[in-house]
Amino acid sequence: MTRRERLHLRNGLLFAAPWVVGFLFFQLYPLLMSVYFSFTDYNVVHPPVWAGLDNYRELFFDDPLFWKALYNTLYFTVFSVPLSLVFSLSIAMLLNRKIPGMSVFRTVFFLPSIVPIVASSVLWLWVLNPESGLINSLLQQFLGIQGPGWLADARWAKPSLVLMSLWGIGGAMVIFLAGLAEVPQTLYEVAELDGAGRWAKFRNVTLPMLTPTILFNLVMGMIGAFQYFTQVYVMTGGTGSPMDSTMFYALYMYRMSFYYLRMGYASAMAWMLFVVILTATISVLISSKRWVYYHGD
Amino acid sequence: MRDIIKHINDAIVVRDSLIYLIAIPACIVPALLLWPRTAGTGAERRAAAQGRTVIVYWDRHSGHEHESRRVLIEEFNESQNEVHVRTLPIGYNALMEKTLTSTAGGAPPDVLSVDGGIMAQLAAQGLFMPLDDLIAEVPILNPDAFMPHIWDMVCFDGHVWAIPTTTDTYCLLWNKSAFRRAGLDPERPPQTLKELEEYAAKLTIRAPSGAIEQMGFLPWLPWDQSFMWGVLFGGQWYNEETGLVETGSDPAIIASLAWQQSFTIDPSSDNNPPYALPAERIQSFTRGIGDYMSANNPFYSGKVAMISEGEWQVTFIPKYAPGLDWGVAPLPQPEGVPPIAFGPTCVADVIPVTARNPEAAKKFLRWFYSPRPDGRPSPASDYNHAIHNIPPRTEEALQDRFTAHPKFRVFVEQLLHRPVEAYPVTPCTQFLTDTIGRFREWVVFRRMTPEEAAMAIETLVNRELERTRALLERRRP
Repeated sequence: MTRRERLHLRNGLLFAAPWVVGFLFFQLYPLLMSVYFSFTDYNVVHPPVWAGLDNYRELFFDDPLFWKALYNTLYFTVFSVPLSLVFSLSIAMLLNRKIPGMSVFRTVFFLPSIVPIVASSVLWLWVLNPESGLINSLLQQFLGIQGPGWLADARWAKPSLVLMSLWGIGGAMVIFLAGLAEVPQTLYEVAELDGAGRWAKFRNVTLPMLTPTILFNLVMGMIGAFQYFTQVYVMTGGTGSPMDSTMFYALYMYRMSFYYLRMGYASAMAWMLFVVILTATISVLISSKRWVYYHGD
Repeated sequence: MRDIIKHINDAIVVRDSLIYLIAIPACIVPALLLWPRTAGTGAERRAAAQGRTVIVYWDRHSGHEHESRRVLIEEFNESQNEVHVRTLPIGYNALMEKTLTSTAGGAPPDVLSVDGGIMAQLAAQGLFMPLDDLIAEVPILNPDAFMPHIWDMVCFDGHVWAIPTTTDTYCLLWNKSAFRRAGLDPERPPQTLKELEEYAAKLTIRAPSGAIEQMGFLPWLPWDQSFMWGVLFGGQWYNEETGLVETGSDPAIIASLAWQQSFTIDPSSDNNPPYALPAERIQSFTRGIGDYMSANNPFYSGKVAMISEGEWQVTFIPKYAPGLDWGVAPLPQPEGVPPIAFGPTCVADVIPVTARNPEAAKKFLRWFYSPRPDGRPSPASDYNHAIHNIPPRTEEALQDRFTAHPKFRVFVEQLLHRPVEAYPVTPCTQFLTDTIGRFREWVVFRRMTPEEAAMAIETLVNRELERTRALLERRRP
């Protein structure tokens, strides 16, 4: 190694050091400690007490609320992620047209996703207010029907949150726009020569060419949905009400940690969530070999 | 040629080194210049410069209640030159999270006000410092001077962990204008549970669409009060003797849950009481009501005609609804049950176990709870008076300034002249009350029978009690 290379290596390490130190102490160390804590009874103030597999045993066999929270989270993921993909792709398609003022429309559709989550949650509390909310007022005024109880009704609480999740599709929409810009125009021209109509072009050109983008948005959306917390904490006061219908996994984990001081149990929950997310992600990645098309394949 | 390349390389190395030499200080120096020298206000910095110990007080109250405390703390800061107190309104919602993380991180406040109901749970987990020495040296903190149920609340495992500041009780508040409109005598509140039900039916107004325009009475407004109703029905959520929850076999607890359930219509029955309303209408109504601490509070805005509320409303109502014509009376109980007052909890001051200035904190607490040298009452008593909470010391609660107000007197007398039931002192009280609230929802919306809910509460809470006690036992040195 020359003197110059040694110097560059030293400087490189020096500049990378803050991140490396941060990763080791603030990410890797807590990560490893949480594995250990998941096998203990730990309240943060006292040293952890070894509990073996008790936390995991309780999770699986003695805690119906754990399964309820897992079900609620899966429900939300299964409905919100595909719906968000469909809506964000649809809007991206609309915003990909070459018409005057398109940048304004793009900004308008992206704006909601930069509104702080707490602020948008408070806004949606009003939108979904069963008595005086925007949606029910419109339903009553224009259709003459009594809207549902939304977050007040156990049957409607999760669908309400799924509906609200569409508010934040701006990020996925921008990624889809970037993906659409990458689709070679020549493919559309060839398709047109073959007599393809709009739908055929979308189905046979746009969609296959966008599959890597769809995969990315799907995986990121799924991971986000499994960790859904802030909105439900703000909108239901963190209680999981009504009738545990909004007791999401991350919320239950938070309650276990900070309401009942059961950090060991919450750590076990965190690792189970990790396993669930990992399994879902790997499944999607494995399946992607069948449906994702990369340029050059 | 090789020499030229070497020179160029050396020059590049020197250039790079110079860039780093300039770049690194260029980043660090502004950061150092911008770094705050000391946190806090000018008054705190001056106090620190004078050699005073600056301590931090986290207030569980916020809004005008915190403001009242802040004024008293300013009085303390000006009354002596050893300790300076900085107070922050932390509020109720994130108190547990912040207390836990700050205590674990070694940077908690020096004094903290917490709810008595969860005090034992947190003390059991080792979050607080015992205050036995402080109690022993301050005459006014004589345990016998406090209301017994309040003193029990701050004692756990043979130690005193907190000093009670304020306490509460609940009564029935009614809107006299709504009574007049319904043809009821505005000066005569319901005396029995039966009357409460009759009045609830008469006072409920529904729109042609079926929406509830005015709710007569709902047992879970302004929030879940299942614990209180169980107690007022003569039930026992927790058996002090056995240390267990025995709700599954307590007919009074089951009856209290069934009574709450009777406020929602049973679609399978033709015999619903007249005050019962469709569950979905109740859900829409309760979700649609305004913020508690605002003019949109449903009782202030006239959307609820009768409500179970605490004595703090004597301050809140003039502030948020000055024109409201209202009355206060003890909550009706079922026939045959002896009169009981529900004094759920207290707000109490604690010192976190990792507090950095415990002695200065004790000095402040000594001042706050002792009568002033000129004979005026203690700042704690003034605080209760300012925010209209009941002082936990019997003698103070009996003072004219607390009993002179006719509405406030109803609350005070109830607490002093009736047997009082409070939240039990257990290491799992938060879990107990949360579980009761959870299953109350299942009962009132008819997804579970009261019997099933009472049994489920018993099973879940006893398991948690057993687990926590075993853990505490294992931690014992």
